[in-house]
Amino acid sequence: MALHVESVSLALGDFSLRDVSFEVATGEYFVILGPTGAGKTIVLETIAGIHVPDRGRISWDGEDITHAEPRTRNIAVVYQDYMLFPHLTVEENIGFGLRQKNTEREEIQKRVAEMAELLGITHLLSRYPGTLSGGEQQRAALARALVIRPRILLLDEPTNALDTAMRERMRKELLRIHRVTGTTVIQITHHFEDVFALADRVAIMRDGAIVQIGEPSDVFWHPKDTRVAGFLGIGNMIAGTAKKAGDLVEVSTGTGVLVTAVSDVEGPVVATLHAEDVILSKAPFVSSAKNCLPGTVTELRPNGGIVTVCIDAGFPLTALLTRESCGDLDLTVGSRVFATFKATAVHVIPVHDA
Amino acid sequence: MRRFFLAVTAVISLIVVFILAGLVLYPPLPALIVSLASPEIRFAIILSIVTSTISTAICVALAIPVAYALARYRFPFRNAVNLALTLPLALPPLVAGIALLIFFGTTTWGKMLDAMGFAVVFSPIGIVIAEVFVNLPYMIRILKSSFAAINPRYENVAKTLGCTETGAFLQVTLPLSRPGLIAGTSITWAKSMGEFGAVLMLAGATTMRTETLPIALYLNLSIGDLDLAIAAAVILIIVSLGALCVVEYFYQETHVF
Repeated sequence: MALHVESVSLALGDFSLRDVSFEVATGEYFVILGPTGAGKTIVLETIAGIHVPDRGRISWDGEDITHAEPRTRNIAVVYQDYMLFPHLTVEENIGFGLRQKNTEREEIQKRVAEMAELLGITHLLSRYPGTLSGGEQQRAALARALVIRPRILLLDEPTNALDTAMRERMRKELLRIHRVTGTTVIQITHHFEDVFALADRVAIMRDGAIVQIGEPSDVFWHPKDTRVAGFLGIGNMIAGTAKKAGDLVEVSTGTGVLVTAVSDVEGPVVATLHAEDVILSKAPFVSSAKNCLPGTVTELRPNGGIVTVCIDAGFPLTALLTRESCGDLDLTVGSRVFATFKATAVHVIPVHDA
Repeated sequence: MRRFFLAVTAVISLIVVFILAGLVLYPPLPALIVSLASPEIRFAIILSIVTSTISTAICVALAIPVAYALARYRFPFRNAVNLALTLPLALPPLVAGIALLIFFGTTTWGKMLDAMGFAVVFSPIGIVIAEVFVNLPYMIRILKSSFAAINPRYENVAKTLGCTETGAFLQVTLPLSRPGLIAGTSITWAKSMGEFGAVLMLAGATTMRTETLPIALYLNLSIGDLDLAIAAAVILIIVSLGALCVVEYFYQETHVF
């Protein structure tokens, strides 16, 4: 293990870290997942050396860096709002770190050009950050961080400010960069999709503390407590293998059940489906919805006017019903039902194989 | 309501322009040019420019660290320090001037300076000191809001990329605060050019010695030489107008006065 964060505590205005410990291996892609305000950015800034912990220890390969200045750590950070220096061109921004180390001019030019090439922003080098789109600024910020060949790249919610399509592209881009450079990456996010798409391991953070660490599948299928489950709570997660079927894909769950989704992803996937998008009926009915699966009610969990209905449809499936509809359908444990949902309600996430 | 409010606005702005234009146009143009070229006004212009430039430079040099500290650091008595540094701004310049006069004129410290040949009271050095004392708070306030508006994450990034704290400040924060620096410098300089009360108290009003433009205006008005007084006033109007244009151009966001 390369980076050791041991029992780090820090109080900082309204935020605090409580006894945060984790380890990250060289070359690993480590994701910290947690809701907004959990203190994730402070963890990154403490690793970078911007904050000094009140208690605890941070070390790299056994060397204590708890009190080392940021500039000596060689740990780069990319903030979610990029923080490109507005008074410098993209080229000067990328070369900034090398200039601090008194690198020779030709060497700076060469490495900046290489990095711009890797991120596909060569045509933007003479522009000022204010004239770039969000995605372009992010690439420039990544280039500025990577050009110093950092031992750790810290990413602060890199997919947050982007729209859904750009987010998918950025994930592919981050994976590619991770493969090409081999850099150790620690990313924070509050999108669970990022975890499946990118992470070797994930830490769940809440109220300034880390509550669970593990491989993505461990954490998602064995959440430590109901609050973790609730935070991850998107209702339904269906693991399987996606295969193209016309314009759509069919996700096979391994128990012979096929779920149809709008996507173009193939291979190992996790499909998500919000419980409120599932319609239950006593008999199969003809509709425009692509998915109509038979199942058995295994549990009814009333909560106020809403009932969470758990169904065994060859895989566990949950639906949200009003108490009234639940009565109309006369649902009890063991009832046979049909679950209907649209192919567009199913979100297919490619699973990153480590 | 809209029409009434707009009408009030129009009337007041017209009155302001009318009053100032009346002053500039009062003497016949040839007389104004002769007055502007007179040795006394020329001396006053040069003395004002030299003292204002020196005092502005001192203000900038002192305000940068103070404004940054107030904008970024948490330290004990921060609010008290803030209050103390703002006080001269709310004080009538005459009061600031007499306090300076007592400090430099009667204390041992002031006398020591005088003995070392560094005479402050009734000397051109006094002009510079009075101007710095009165205008430093403006410079600090403008720069403070300028620094506070710059996201500290820029410096964080610079530090992770290999900058020392000083390096991050000089290479990132200072260049980014350029509009505030330019606006603050122009306002401080223009206010120094026009400073009267504090200068009168500490440096006195000695013809051709501590005679800055406002002092020249005052002295000539009191002896009834209206042409020379107006010549000094016209230059002060031009200086104010110029400073205002610079500020409007570089620093629209900040409301300095």
